[in-house]
Amino acid sequence: MNIKELKELIELIQKGQIAELELEKSGVRVRIKRDRTPAVPVPLTEEAPAASTIPVEAPLPHGASPPSTVPAGWLTLTAPVVGTFYRAPAPDSDPYVEIGSPVKKGQILCVIEAMKLMNEIESEWEGKIVEILVENAQPVEYGAPLFRIEPLAPT
Amino acid sequence: MFKKILVANRSEIAVRIIQACRELGIKTVAVYSEADAQALHVRLADEHLCIGPADAALSYRNIPNILSAAEITGAEAVHPGYGFLAENAHFAEVCQSVGIKFIGPTSENIAMMGDKAKAREIITKQGIPVLPGSQGVISEEKEALEAAKRIGYPVIIKATAGGGGRGMRVVTQEEDFLSAFQTAQAEAKTAFGDSGVYLEKYFLEPRHIEVQILADEKGRTVYLGERDCSIQRRHQKLIEESPSAAVGDALRREIGLVAVAVGRSVNYCNVGTVEFLLDKDQRFYFMEMNTRIQVEHPVTEMVTGIDLIKEQIKIAAGLPLDFRQNDIKVRGHSFECRINAECPDTFTPSPGTISNFRPPGGPGVRVDSAVMCDSVVPPYYDSLIAKLIVHAENRDGAVARMRRALDEFVIEGIKTTIPLHKRIFDDPVFQKGRISTGYLEKFLSSEQARVSG
Repeated sequence: MNIKELKELIELIQKGQIAELELEKSGVRVRIKRDRTPAVPVPLTEEAPAASTIPVEAPLPHGASPPSTVPAGWLTLTAPVVGTFYRAPAPDSDPYVEIGSPVKKGQILCVIEAMKLMNEIESEWEGKIVEILVENAQPVEYGAPLFRIEPLAPT
Repeated sequence: MFKKILVANRSEIAVRIIQACRELGIKTVAVYSEADAQALHVRLADEHLCIGPADAALSYRNIPNILSAAEITGAEAVHPGYGFLAENAHFAEVCQSVGIKFIGPTSENIAMMGDKAKAREIITKQGIPVLPGSQGVISEEKEALEAAKRIGYPVIIKATAGGGGRGMRVVTQEEDFLSAFQTAQAEAKTAFGDSGVYLEKYFLEPRHIEVQILADEKGRTVYLGERDCSIQRRHQKLIEESPSAAVGDALRREIGLVAVAVGRSVNYCNVGTVEFLLDKDQRFYFMEMNTRIQVEHPVTEMVTGIDLIKEQIKIAAGLPLDFRQNDIKVRGHSFECRINAECPDTFTPSPGTISNFRPPGGPGVRVDSAVMCDSVVPPYYDSLIAKLIVHAENRDGAVARMRRALDEFVIEGIKTTIPLHKRIFDDPVFQKGRISTGYLEKFLSSEQARVSG
């Protein structure tokens, strides 16, 4: 899958009546969804382009989630620090939250370990966890999406 | 040798470091702020990690995020580039304590040379002449008069809160000193709200001459010639060259050995630059030492053929220098023009999107840059977008080559300092090498006079 083919796919969606397209080809899976604003497709995995020496979109390390369009109203909590994401305070403890868990503003949702320091990450909103976007013990960069929260009151 | 290095910087120096790592077969990790998501250094590196928002304090100077990025990517070493954390002794120390190699001098080297007063003390003990000046602000008239006598006339009285050439007064003889001192204090109070002034020896047409040194971890230290960085505006370098037109072989050897002695006296390791002021009579005075790789390092690379970034990495990996002082030769002449995203007349920053970018090529031309067509120059960081470096067989040849290269260089969509560089290289005074630290201000004001007169 190269940039030319992706561009052609985008044009197809924009011109036609198609709302959503998912395509898998040679180890690359692409999902393009047409919404109020045109979405930018990002390959989930991409072999290093052999021909070009400057890849336009290099893969994010450690399988960070692609920026797909989010249902209206859902809020995304992103990582405020760089480190390793953990769902529970200790290896043998229960996770702080699960999908469906109600959360309050200021409630701890996870820890991100950075240089042996455990950063407790708090929810910015009151609501319900609807998606957990990162796996336990996965490294995350600044701004990596961690949780999708359906807020209690409409925002 | 390291397997993976994290580049804790951005823009052209990050690209430069990645280039050296690539050639050494070392994997690279780029870190970037949200404003640099599309930057070239991010695209070129093997891995990349966002470490914070645009604000440098929260990203490029964010020690926890940077070290955490090194930890999670398995980087064994960090190259700090220049600026940001490059001369942060605390960062160098923290790297050491967590087992990540800081590619540069030791935290002790950085701390010692970062304390200007302490550095001067160490240098003076070595018998090396230091730029004569008062030890800080003087408010007592009697004390000031004595200090001026000790320094030797002419002296310059400078406002400690001042800058940009304001709040300065030159005194050529003792009988004029007290009234000048009082006036300078009053002016400083009015202009800057702080009457504090200090004294320095005043030089007529001095040159800023700096010597590049390299030292391995066994203490073997060499000098790699000098750079003349006299073309400055408000203490910001604009054009650098190596060798200096004012330095002959004997003086080169003399200040080179002095620079090496400075390094040895503090057990210096890795790259460093010792800065001197050279007066009209070829006397030199120690100003300060920079404990990092410098922006203008390419001119030294061009005349010596030594890749300074690779040497930094090799030294940090514990390898001994594989050349001796006698192996180092300065061949030909090199200039570097710093191309800034600024209006060439007012020097106001000119961030924005580059609509066309065509760097020059051909023999003896090198461009160190991180921008290309459609690059966005963000407003958050310094304005340097490219360094145009030339090398030729002698200074005249290098001048001709730089004029040719500046004419070829196309950057559109933002304003750059290229037109100013062209005018300087067209100036017969500059072409003859008759430069000093006062050159650029004089050149600019004479241009101004011509325009308005």
